Amino acid sequence: MSLDVTAAAPALPGRRSALGEFGEIARDLWHYRELLYQLALRDVRIRYKQAVMGFGWAVFMPLLVVLAGCLVRAAMAHVSGTALDRAALAGLAIKGLGWSFFVGALGFAVQSLSGNLNLVSKIYFPREVLPLAVMLAQAFDSAVGAVALTVAFVAFGIGSASGLLWVPVLALTLFVVTAAAALLLSCGNLFFRDVKYIVQVLLTFGIFFTPVLFEPIMLGATGAKLAMLNPLAPVLEGLRLAVVGGHDLLEPLVQVSRHGEAVLVWHPLYLAYSAGLGLVGLAASALLFHRLEYVFAEYV
Amino acid sequence: MAEPRVDFCDVSKKFRRGELHDSLRDLIPDLARRVFRPGGTGAELGRREFWALRHVSFEVKPGQALGIIGPNGAGKSTILKLLTRILRPTSGWCRVQGRVGALIEIAAGFHPDLTGRENIYLQGAIMGMRAAEINRRFDEIVEFSGIAEFIDTPVKRYSNGMNARLGFSIAAHLDPEVLIIDEVLAVGDFSFQAQAFERIREMVQRAIPVVVVAHQLDRIAQLCTEVILLDRGEVVRRGSAAECISAYVLKPVSEVRADSTEGPFQFRRLTLDSPGPVRSGERLAFTVAGQIAPGGLPREIEGIVITVRSAQTGQAVFTTSNARLGVPLPEEGPFELQVELQCNLAPGIYAIETRLWNRARGAPAQQGPSAYVQVQPGKDFTGLVQMNPTMSVARRATRSALTGS
Repeated sequence: MSLDVTAAAPALPGRRSALGEFGEIARDLWHYRELLYQLALRDVRIRYKQAVMGFGWAVFMPLLVVLAGCLVRAAMAHVSGTALDRAALAGLAIKGLGWSFFVGALGFAVQSLSGNLNLVSKIYFPREVLPLAVMLAQAFDSAVGAVALTVAFVAFGIGSASGLLWVPVLALTLFVVTAAAALLLSCGNLFFRDVKYIVQVLLTFGIFFTPVLFEPIMLGATGAKLAMLNPLAPVLEGLRLAVVGGHDLLEPLVQVSRHGEAVLVWHPLYLAYSAGLGLVGLAASALLFHRLEYVFAEYV
Repeated sequence: MAEPRVDFCDVSKKFRRGELHDSLRDLIPDLARRVFRPGGTGAELGRREFWALRHVSFEVKPGQALGIIGPNGAGKSTILKLLTRILRPTSGWCRVQGRVGALIEIAAGFHPDLTGRENIYLQGAIMGMRAAEINRRFDEIVEFSGIAEFIDTPVKRYSNGMNARLGFSIAAHLDPEVLIIDEVLAVGDFSFQAQAFERIREMVQRAIPVVVVAHQLDRIAQLCTEVILLDRGEVVRRGSAAECISAYVLKPVSEVRADSTEGPFQFRRLTLDSPGPVRSGERLAFTVAGQIAPGGLPREIEGIVITVRSAQTGQAVFTTSNARLGVPLPEEGPFELQVELQCNLAPGIYAIETRLWNRARGAPAQQGPSAYVQVQPGKDFTGLVQMNPTMSVARRATRSALTGS
């Protein structure tokens, strides 16, 4: 906890540029990287200690999403008279993994500040580490799930190796979008304790507004574009198209729907939009979080 | 003289009373103001606002130990939170240079499901230690805490005392350049308190600047080179420990409640019959109230030990007990023990402490409430102790009278 003169400077009122504050946030986080790691480790340990499922947790939620997806898709297939193929299932699985990271990380992150009030009101550390540590712990879970998924893909001979190169970019985008929401909402939950309930409701119904169980092409040309406005949609669709379909995400992709309509299912700008929105959102919520940080102890 | 390590310059801090916000209509503009005009200097008080601190200044240099005393709500904890960057001042500024060791909520980061070993790394990281540092001092931490055999047991199975021991032990191995202490001197059992206090005293002797908040005035008196007395956010007095403690105790705390509520014996309270200073040589009367659970006290409990301790020097000047005086406690139920002492003491501040004594262990079994009295110079004598002087004068026949007869 070394506070040299410069680090203590914010105690002097006013005169701080936004850029300077980002520097401050980054420096504080770097200084407390050990805490970030220890808190993430704590969350991982607790999840696997005295738990029925153990590492099963990592695949439980994505598996449920896949099963739900199978049901939905089977119903659709029945209505439209087509068969449910392996590629569709694989797409469901990989999107289910991404979606459960988002749901899990956000669900726990929202309560990360209000659940650690004794720390927040008594000990100084950059409060950003609390939601971020939760996200790291969730990322660990998702990584375990990803390993399981990779094994399954290889076993069934699905997927494209070249598409795997896109996974880090997409995962990072997903992390940034989630972090933007997590910082904003965890901070909001400290001031209004019902934020966590609102978030739970939104996460429950969010799956209908995100192309997890369905594919945008099923919505038609206009519907597909609208569905891609959800910043998570390009990430999840990108994962499916690159890993399962082997599509190069730098190229637009037009597919013909069952009604003979040409639908733009992918454009590189989709991903740029998602990443851009995520970065701007993260910057804004980090700034808000940082400025409110000093008010936390007064409002809890 | 060295540069001050802790600088607290004309700091004021404003808080709100009662519910913080009735509605979004209040909160949103307020938050917006804080976000867009951080550290606004607002010298005026808004509706329902009050000053938790008002124009407080001090500095602490290496080798100095500053004690902060005052009644509850005086602003002591606010000062500590400003020093540890949890709060920001409304106006003025504060600065701490060097690595801060904050002995505040030393076990706050513990997670009940993790083992002692895992919690050492977690709590260490919360306090700002690196894994390499913790690795290096791990054995020392465990040894100091005295709970080596339980280090791989989940902390939820620890007693409160073990928790506190482990927490203090981690904090004590931080190697801070500035030490900030809040009431942690009251954790753990008697011997651990002594051990912890010794550790802190050692740091002061190594010229580490210390800021300490405590209600145990005798500890403050033993530790601090300088004391400030706060009341309602303002510095009422600053000076030597004895001076400030006297000023504080002149408005005596006549009734102090004990906090232990378990076990076969409970201390209720210690009440001075007449609050206010006592003169040297006069009698001091007080009542210790307690309760004995049905079934009575264990055999090894001797009874209530009363100690009078000088707040300035920390030395126990007098100790007695109901057993030594042959006054038995009742078998069970609530009781009041009336005590009268002859205050044959030098003027100063004295703490009256109560303990439950364990005869078998030859150590206190439980701490009871304490009170402070000020002894003023008396009519009969000056000095350290009353030596019960007797004097008489006999008339003697003079030589001249003899010879002159």
